[in-house]
Amino acid sequence: MSLVDRLPHDDSGRAFFIGGVCILIALLFALTPLRTTLPDGFNVFFEVGILFTIYAMLVLGLNLQYGYTGLVNFGHVVFFAVGAYSVAMLSAQDTFAGIGLGYPWPVALIVGIVVAALLGTIVGATSLRLRDDFLAIATLATAEIFHTLFVNFRHIFGGNVGILGVPQPVKDIASGTDTTLLATILLSGGITILTFAIITRLTDAPYGRVLRAIRADELVTRSVGKPTFTYKMQAFVYGAALAGLAGGLFALYNGAVAPGYFTIQVTVTVWIGMLLGGAANNRAVLGGLAVIMGLRLLSRFALDVAPVSADAFASIRLILIGVILILVIRYRPAGIWGDAKELGVDS
Amino acid sequence: MGLAQNIVFGLVTGSYIAIAAIGFTLIYGIVNMINFAYGEYLTIGAFVGVVTAGMLPLPLPIAVLIAMLAGGLASLILARVLFTPINNTGPVPMLLTSIGLGLVLRNAIRLTAGRSSRYFNTQTATFRFENLPDFSIGSVNLLGELFVTSQQLVVIGSAVIVFLTLHTLLTRTDIGIAMRAMSDDENLARIRGIDTQMIRDSVWILAGVLAGLAGVLIGIQTNVSAGTGFNHILQILAAAILGGAGSPYGAIAGSYIIGIVLALSVAFLPSGMTGISSAVAFLLLIIVLLIKPSGIAGQEVREA
Repeated sequence: MSLVDRLPHDDSGRAFFIGGVCILIALLFALTPLRTTLPDGFNVFFEVGILFTIYAMLVLGLNLQYGYTGLVNFGHVVFFAVGAYSVAMLSAQDTFAGIGLGYPWPVALIVGIVVAALLGTIVGATSLRLRDDFLAIATLATAEIFHTLFVNFRHIFGGNVGILGVPQPVKDIASGTDTTLLATILLSGGITILTFAIITRLTDAPYGRVLRAIRADELVTRSVGKPTFTYKMQAFVYGAALAGLAGGLFALYNGAVAPGYFTIQVTVTVWIGMLLGGAANNRAVLGGLAVIMGLRLLSRFALDVAPVSADAFASIRLILIGVILILVIRYRPAGIWGDAKELGVDS
Repeated sequence: MGLAQNIVFGLVTGSYIAIAAIGFTLIYGIVNMINFAYGEYLTIGAFVGVVTAGMLPLPLPIAVLIAMLAGGLASLILARVLFTPINNTGPVPMLLTSIGLGLVLRNAIRLTAGRSSRYFNTQTATFRFENLPDFSIGSVNLLGELFVTSQQLVVIGSAVIVFLTLHTLLTRTDIGIAMRAMSDDENLARIRGIDTQMIRDSVWILAGVLAGLAGVLIGIQTNVSAGTGFNHILQILAAAILGGAGSPYGAIAGSYIIGIVLALSVAFLPSGMTGISSAVAFLLLIIVLLIKPSGIAGQEVREA
C-alpha cells in the first residue's frame, strides 16, 4: 500500500490532514531559526491572503447559519468584532486609550470565543423567531449598536483609535518580517482548513440534513419531531463562536483593533462571497470569497495605475461590489458553484 | 435648556423621519420588502434640491418640488429595473438587492459630489417665546424660554400637510383604497379587479416623492452629504417597525416617539456620550422587535 492510498479520501478527512500539515510547517518556520525571504512586492499577496483566511472562517460560519439553516444574519461582523475586542482588551500591554489587562493571549483567545458565543446566544434567543428579513434587521441593528459603543466609550474601547499594543505571538517568535508573514498565513490557513474540515463533517452528517430540512421547511421538520429552535440556536452560536475565533486571531495578527476594521463592509463582503460562490456548499463559499478578495487584490494594483484619487477609487470599488451583489441575486441566485435544486431557487 | 425645547427638537426630527417612514412602510406593506436603499432616495432628493436651489438658482419651493419629482422618478425606475423582476423570489433576495443598490447609489453620489457637505442657503428667523410659566420637576426645567426657528416650523408644517394629504389619499381616492386593500390581502385585491402592478408602481412613486421631500427637509435642517440618507435609514426603519411595519399611521406615531427619544437622550446623556444617541434608536428597534414585533399597529412578523 503506497502512501497515497493511505491518505484520507473524503473532503473533511483530507482537510484535517492538510490543515494539520500547514500548522506544522507554520510552527517549523516560527519556532526554528528557519528563515524565508519573499520576493519584493509579494507582501501585499500575503496581507490579503491572511485576511482571506480570517474572512474564510467568517464565511464558513455564516454559511452554516444561512446556507444550511436559512438564518439571515446580517450582523455577522459584530461577533467578529466582539471576539477581536475581547482578545485585545484582555491581552493588550500598553494601550493608547481604553482597557488593556495584559493577560496571556491564549487565555484571551478562549475568552474571546466564549464572549462571542455568549453574544450569539443572547441575539439568537431573542431574535431567531423573527421572520427572515426582520432577523436581518435585528442582527444588523445589533452590529450598529456595538459599533457605536466601540466608537463612543473611549475609556473602555479606545474610541476611533481602538486598542493598541495587542501581543503578536507569531511576530514575536519568528525571525524577520517575511518569515512572520509566511508562518502567519500557514497558521491561520491551517486553522481555516481545520474549520472547513469540522464544518464539512458536521454538515455531511445527519445533523446537517436536519439543518437543511429546517431551511427548506421548518414546520415540516418540527412536525417530524425535531426541536427546530434548538438546532437553529446551535447553528447560530457555532457561527458566532467561529467569528469570535476569527476576530481573536485577527487581533493577534494585527496587533491592534479599531472600529474601522469592523464596519458593515465586512458583513457585505462575507455575504457576497457566500452568495457568489453558492450558499450551502462549503467549498463554493470559499471560492466565492476568493473571487471577491481577489478583486480587492487586483484593485490594489489597479489603484497604482488608475488616474483617480484613492478616495474615488474606494467608491468605485464599492460600486462594483454592489453591482456584483445585485447581478448574482438576479442571474445566479444559487451562486457560481451552488446547487440550484438544493437551495430551492430557479436559475 | 428646558424640556420643552428638547421636545421641539424631537418634533422636528420626528417630522422628517415620519415623512420618510411613511414611504418606507408603504413599500413594506404593498411590495412586501424592506428597502434598505431607501435612505439613498433621501440623498438623491436632497442633492437635487440643493443643486436646483443653490446652483441654478430656483426659488426653494420649486426646488423642493423638483427634488420630490426626482425622488419619485428614481424610485420608480429603480423598482422597475431591479425589484419588480425578482418580486416572486421572497423577501431575502429583495433585501439583499436593496443593500447592493444602497452601496451603488451611495458611492456613486460620493463619487460625483465628493465628501464635503453642501448647505441650503435659507434665511432663518428665530421666534423667541419668553417669560413662559417656569415650573420644574426635580431639576428638570420644563418651560422657561423657548426658541423656534422658521426652518423648524417649515419642517413640522410640511409633515402636517403630508399627513393630511396622505389621509385623504388613503380614505377618499380609489387608488388609496386599492393600496390599503392590497396591503391587507394582495390576492383578494387582484380577484376584485385591482391592477396590482399599477398600484405597486404608484406606491414606488409616492415613496420616492416622500423620500425626496424628507431629504430636502433634512438638508435644510442640517446639511447635505453623500451619507445623509444612510445616516437616517436605521431611524426610519426603527420608526416604521415601532409603528408596525406596513401601517402608515403607525409609522407617524413611531417616528415621533423615535424623534423625541433621540432628542431627550441627547439632552440627558453626559456630554461626550451624545454619539451613542443613534444607538438608542437601534436599541429601541430591537426592544420593539422582541416585545411586540408587530408594532403599534402592524402585521405579524414572527414565524409561527
